[in-house]
Amino acid sequence: MFQLSEEGKEFVKKQLARYEQKESAIIPSLYRVQDENNGWVSPEAVDHLSQLMDIPTARIQEVLKFYTMFNTEPRGKYHVQVCTTLSCGMLGGRELCSTLMKEHGVHKHGEVSKDGKFSFSHVECLGSCDTAPVMQINREPYLESLTEEKALKILKDLK
Amino acid sequence: MPKCTINGQEVEVKAGATIMDAFYQLGMKEKIAHYCYHPSLSIAGVCRLCMVEIEGNPRLQIACNTVVTEGMKVDNNSAKVNEAVKWGMDFHLINHPLDCPICDQAGECGLQDQYMAYGKYEPEMAERKVKKRKVVDLGPRVVLDSERCVLCSRCVRFTEEVTKTNELGIFNRGDRSEIGTFEDRPLDNHYSVNTVDICPVGALTSKDFRFRQRVWLLKNAESICTGCSTGCNVNVFFNKEGVFRLKPLYNEKVNGYWMCDTGRDTYKPINRDARLLDARLSFGGDKAQAKVEYMIPLMGAKKAAEWVREAKAANNAKSVALVLTGQYSSEEYESIVSTFKADVGTDQIFHWVNNPESFESFDGLLFRGDRNPNTKGLLQTLQKHGVMDNTWKDLVAGLESGTIQTLVVAGPLDFSVFPDLQEKLALFAKAKRLVWLSSGKSELVDASSITTVQIPMRTHVEKHGTYVNHSGIAQSVKPALSVVAKAMTLSEVADVIAGRNVKREEASSPIGKRAQNEFTTQRGAL
Repeated sequence: MFQLSEEGKEFVKKQLARYEQKESAIIPSLYRVQDENNGWVSPEAVDHLSQLMDIPTARIQEVLKFYTMFNTEPRGKYHVQVCTTLSCGMLGGRELCSTLMKEHGVHKHGEVSKDGKFSFSHVECLGSCDTAPVMQINREPYLESLTEEKALKILKDLK
Repeated sequence: MPKCTINGQEVEVKAGATIMDAFYQLGMKEKIAHYCYHPSLSIAGVCRLCMVEIEGNPRLQIACNTVVTEGMKVDNNSAKVNEAVKWGMDFHLINHPLDCPICDQAGECGLQDQYMAYGKYEPEMAERKVKKRKVVDLGPRVVLDSERCVLCSRCVRFTEEVTKTNELGIFNRGDRSEIGTFEDRPLDNHYSVNTVDICPVGALTSKDFRFRQRVWLLKNAESICTGCSTGCNVNVFFNKEGVFRLKPLYNEKVNGYWMCDTGRDTYKPINRDARLLDARLSFGGDKAQAKVEYMIPLMGAKKAAEWVREAKAANNAKSVALVLTGQYSSEEYESIVSTFKADVGTDQIFHWVNNPESFESFDGLLFRGDRNPNTKGLLQTLQKHGVMDNTWKDLVAGLESGTIQTLVVAGPLDFSVFPDLQEKLALFAKAKRLVWLSSGKSELVDASSITTVQIPMRTHVEKHGTYVNHSGIAQSVKPALSVVAKAMTLSEVADVIAGRNVKREEASSPIGKRAQNEFTTQRGAL
């Protein structure tokens, strides 16, 4: 059973106190859960959060399923999100993503590589069109002006 | 009190009322489509079908969320509105499957009605339909078909606001949005079938009713639910094969728009399978099976009258006792109690409380622990005739000492709410003769160890009567259909016992003569 750490619980309580409506605290709390649960939100985690926040599971699930930045399936240690919207798309975002996937033996989005390290997905505009193509790993800062070599090297250097 | 005009008709509404309220106030004489709006749920404004044109306002507004202002002129028949509603319709149908032939909602579906009124267009959508989940087992009583759902969110708001159980939600987004429960956990609150009633399309269907009957082959009549002392108003849907389902009818003072799931099952004891069809005289003892006589109900009642006469002849009227359950109408109680007091001459009249432990309980919404429709009416009659003070202990003492020998029991119409049946029958077996009045058949009664005559009774949908609910509201019912035509009412049995002429209540049917084709009466004009 997933449980938030003590600091995590403290964080959720602080968020609850911060907003007028406690539903507003769902998004920051889900982020916290995702960070503490290897990058994804499991059903048990939703149950846990529901008890902690005193919000019905269905309400939390609605938020969780609406936003694509929450993962509802296990992800690799490094979840690589490649932007494929206009500028990135024109500068080879899709091709970049498939090259990376091929390199790590992953055949479809959401699948985790055998060593458990990587998973990949396309994302919509990350808002850094001037430095396209762009990708983001987990919730780290953007990696910009990529080429295939650059991107492959970045992933190689990840422990 | 602002005044407005709806399609030329003037209406005065309460301050703060919406245009939709004004339409409701007109009794929906002016039709307006609304899928997401429900009078007792919060306003969502998502279906966009209740578009109206307001004079002086260049844009169409939704009626459900626009507050009436003084002198507002509203029109929902203009070409502009029709065009908008037609498009709204088209959008609703983008991903709606062509399921009508196998859909339970067909015949009472919002989309079908709407299409006939506004549609009849060439569809302009070239995209493929999004496939979603079908036949999802949502709970013990409800089945979900995601593709048919128009995401009006009525059911979601119902679990949020009425039952406060919050099982349902709308998950995913865009054209992949669908309703469901978290991790497919069951929707098993006690009011779950109401979500089926308020679903404007066939997305939520009732497991019990599913595929059993097309709705256009059913007629309906107003009645009440006899499942507990709340007495929810219901529509009984039936045809010549029996009753198929109950749906709640709006009554502000009693049940609002809802009814509980237990109440939905109260049609089952009405149908022929569960009914006692003939009077049945058995003599108890080891050879019980061999010595059973079947007769028409009236003869059974005459047998009972004969036993009562015998007791009277022996100058021992007090050896006849009457046991009443809260399952009959007030008129019947009045008739049988006065007969026993005046004609038979006994004051041995007792009230059988079926579940004393939970009798007073209440779930906070509708469902009450007193599982009888007319306990209040029974108590009123007992009070009137001064036999309130008889306790169950008196009956037990009378039976054990042998002073009570003939027992007339107005037994349950619905056995499922009498968990103490077996125990009580064992007690009644201490008498010499038992007259058992009940609409249902029961093996326990058949196996009675004393001389017993069972007389079939009519159910509440087969007779006239008044039922007084827990708060003292008297509600009358009319006969809707006849399942066991020969069955009697308590009043008729009382007449037979008193030796009066029996005035048979006519078994009636709302369509009058059977010769008329059953299914053409409600077909509408071509």
